[in-house]
Amino acid sequence: MTGTLRLIRLILRRERVLAPLWILLLGSLSAGQAARYARTFTSDATIADFATEMTGNKALLAFSGQVYAPTLAGMTVWKIADTVFVLIGLVTVLTVIRHTRTEEETGRAELLGSGVVGRAAPLAAALGFTWTASLLTGLITALGMIKQGFDAEGSLAFGLAVAAVGIVFAAVAGLAAQLTDGARTAVGLAGLALGVGYVLRFLADGSGREWLKWLSPQGWSHLVKPYATDDLTVLGLSLALTTALTVGAFALRARRDLGAGLLAQKPGPADGRVRSPLALAWRVQRGLLAGWVTGFAVAGVAFGALASAIPGLADKQGDSMREFFERYADNGHTDLVDTYLWLMALSLGYVCALYPLLAVLRMRAEETTGRAELLLTGAVARLRWAAGHLLIATLGSAAILTAGGLAMGAVAGDPWRVLGAVVLQVPAVWVLAGIGVLAFGLLPKAAGWICWGAFLFVNLFGEILGPIVGIPYATSKAVIPFLYLPKVISGGEFSAVPVLGLTVLAVALTAAGLAGLRRRAIV
Amino acid sequence: MKTSDAAIAVTGLRKTFGATVALDGLDLRVREGEVHGFLGPNGAGKSTTIRILLGLMRDDGGEAVLLGGDPWRDATALHRRIAYVPGDVNLWPQLTGGEAIDLLGAVRGGLDKTRRAELLDLFELDPRKRSRTYSKGNRQKVALVAAFASNAELLVLDEPTSGLDPLMEAVFQRCVTAERDRGRTVLLSSHILSEVEALCERVSIIRNGRTVETGTLDDLRHLTRTAVTATLAAPAPGLTALPGVHDVTTDGDTVAFQVDDGHLEAAMTLLAGAGIRGITSRPPTLEQLFLRHYESEATVR
Ligand SMILES: Nc1ncnc2c1ncn2[C@@H]1O[C@H](COP(=O)(O)OP(=O)(O)OP(=O)(O)O)[C@@H](O)[C@H]1O
Ligand SMILES: [Mg+2]
Repeated sequence: MTGTLRLIRLILRRERVLAPLWILLLGSLSAGQAARYARTFTSDATIADFATEMTGNKALLAFSGQVYAPTLAGMTVWKIADTVFVLIGLVTVLTVIRHTRTEEETGRAELLGSGVVGRAAPLAAALGFTWTASLLTGLITALGMIKQGFDAEGSLAFGLAVAAVGIVFAAVAGLAAQLTDGARTAVGLAGLALGVGYVLRFLADGSGREWLKWLSPQGWSHLVKPYATDDLTVLGLSLALTTALTVGAFALRARRDLGAGLLAQKPGPADGRVRSPLALAWRVQRGLLAGWVTGFAVAGVAFGALASAIPGLADKQGDSMREFFERYADNGHTDLVDTYLWLMALSLGYVCALYPLLAVLRMRAEETTGRAELLLTGAVARLRWAAGHLLIATLGSAAILTAGGLAMGAVAGDPWRVLGAVVLQVPAVWVLAGIGVLAFGLLPKAAGWICWGAFLFVNLFGEILGPIVGIPYATSKAVIPFLYLPKVISGGEFSAVPVLGLTVLAVALTAAGLAGLRRRAIV
Repeated sequence: MKTSDAAIAVTGLRKTFGATVALDGLDLRVREGEVHGFLGPNGAGKSTTIRILLGLMRDDGGEAVLLGGDPWRDATALHRRIAYVPGDVNLWPQLTGGEAIDLLGAVRGGLDKTRRAELLDLFELDPRKRSRTYSKGNRQKVALVAAFASNAELLVLDEPTSGLDPLMEAVFQRCVTAERDRGRTVLLSSHILSEVEALCERVSIIRNGRTVETGTLDDLRHLTRTAVTATLAAPAPGLTALPGVHDVTTDGDTVAFQVDDGHLEAAMTLLAGAGIRGITSRPPTLEQLFLRHYESEATVR
């Protein structure tokens, strides 16, 4: 462990922009949500009404979790907690992998490892840093909630619940980094754990089978029930899992060589059948695509299964319920199952938007590692090289959504309508792909930031960030491509206009990006 | 400009990165069928020149002609006739070495199967290993095998042997010689001077983005100093004061110094006056030649 402190200093330097950004953003999200609700619900009675209505809305409960406290503080947690849990899980996974497996993959760890740095030091430093950052996020969350006038005990409990998710998934990533010998596979593995935790929690809240929640790290943090029971003992589970994962990670680290994974590499063919840029792009991209298709099929089954647990009509039709239907249904349609299915179709689209961005970033990685250069100094035009990756990114997005839609529709007992609604998201996903290509072509150095930024923006701005910063949903939704799609399953009429419009926009963005790629230097 | 006998003709090439001037009017002329050494201290602009020639980036001024074409505009067509080996080879972790070689061959317009097998043998490379598990030298070998087995007319090698062991370095030199005998042109950027000395007919030395010397190795030696060691009958005190004489050291009756070629005669006359018992003189090695450029760069900065 010698050298851990020195490595932490190095991490602090490298993360001096990114870490404060996410710590502050995640830490202030909850207080922002509280402020927004305080403006909307001006009396205890209105908030209690809202709580009752939401308790009856099984479709939304699956997303947000149960309503545990019908107060302003309780409803704030209900609305924002799961979003914060997902995001902190995502950033801690990425942070830990970036400072462990990525370092080994690029050989930088070797450079340091030859100095006075213990073998376990990089892992210890990455975990130490990320755990501290998680605790800080929790602390800022708690302070923000206290400042909103909520009770300190509940606020601290909530802060700890937030930190716990970050801490657990940092440890998950620490272990994943030891199992695989590639950073991307490690991120995929840890991301899978995050996804499984999410789906279990989702099923628990959607179906009312609370016990399922006990199987999910995110579920444990929900079970703290801030401002209701403030039950911190549940976090003992988070602590226990973190300890087990960490001990496992260090044990594996002690046993393997630098750069190696646990799974040994088998020899492969001596001659190649990969003879074109497209064939190579397929080789490079197929693992990612397979992971996403499988993930969406599994998620589709889970989400579809919930449809039968939702009553056709909501119990009570107050203001909040009306607003809910306004957002996710058209023409006065008030069937809760249909609306739930549209909401799920949208959600699959929102998540799928990450896939083409990751595919574009993989193309960027081909460039920065110098592998693209090997092809491009052969008789391969830049556009032909990019076309291979983009073909997979665009058709792959469609394949992922098809897999999710088929699974969800089959399980929900309404296969074709559901499939149609999910596949309808494709052009909106393509717009995100277009933004990725534009960044790649014109601002390659910032492409990573722009891609992740665009993904988070699309996922957070319309429903959460926009309203928090005072932009009403009616306005904020205008910049979210998904919200232009006809709600075909919940009362809307199919119309080709938005579909074509989004497709044209995606094509235009892609064309502009490719034009930039043709003109710029390959780094 | 007449370019028919030149595989590469670069005149007045300029390239800036923000405030850094990477190329400042660089000239480079590589004749067809020759092995041309491309030398210069770190950061001199060798890789930048090569990347412009390969159409990976655009120049900011000057002219570059590659195999009679424009490296940027005609990139794809020209690349069918070129094979490039970078100094830092990164391969696709998903592919084996053999698969990578065949892929590179395919995108360069063909690969000679028998040569491929011979080269794998010569370089002692196992093509069935996954690229991820190759060492730096082995990754470089993959790129070298792909380049030597290709049918390219021009090989562009940017520090291709920085990871090879001495045995493999010898194999590399044999391969380059064979390429030259087959009539191919080679541009070889390298810091390994013995390699340049063994392989290159002509060299260009660049510094701070400008060509400072170009010509055959013999030409370059003539432009420079000769190292002289003489055993004298009597001391020759006037030697240090003579123009063009440098680095005089005296050890008993033996004196060693360097002299610019233009002043050799005056120095010899002076030594003869003191009585020469024994004398050796050598042309400077490429290393000495090159070190002078390093040193003068240090003083320039
Ligand atoms: N993409 C880039 N962005 C900014 N500066 C660059 C870039 N590429 C090269 N440079 C700068 O241009 C100059 C020339 O670099 P180049 O890589 O051509 O040198 P070189 O002669 O190949 O050196 P070496 O022997 O170390 O390989 C250096 O000062 C380098 O820092
Ligand atoms: Mg270089």
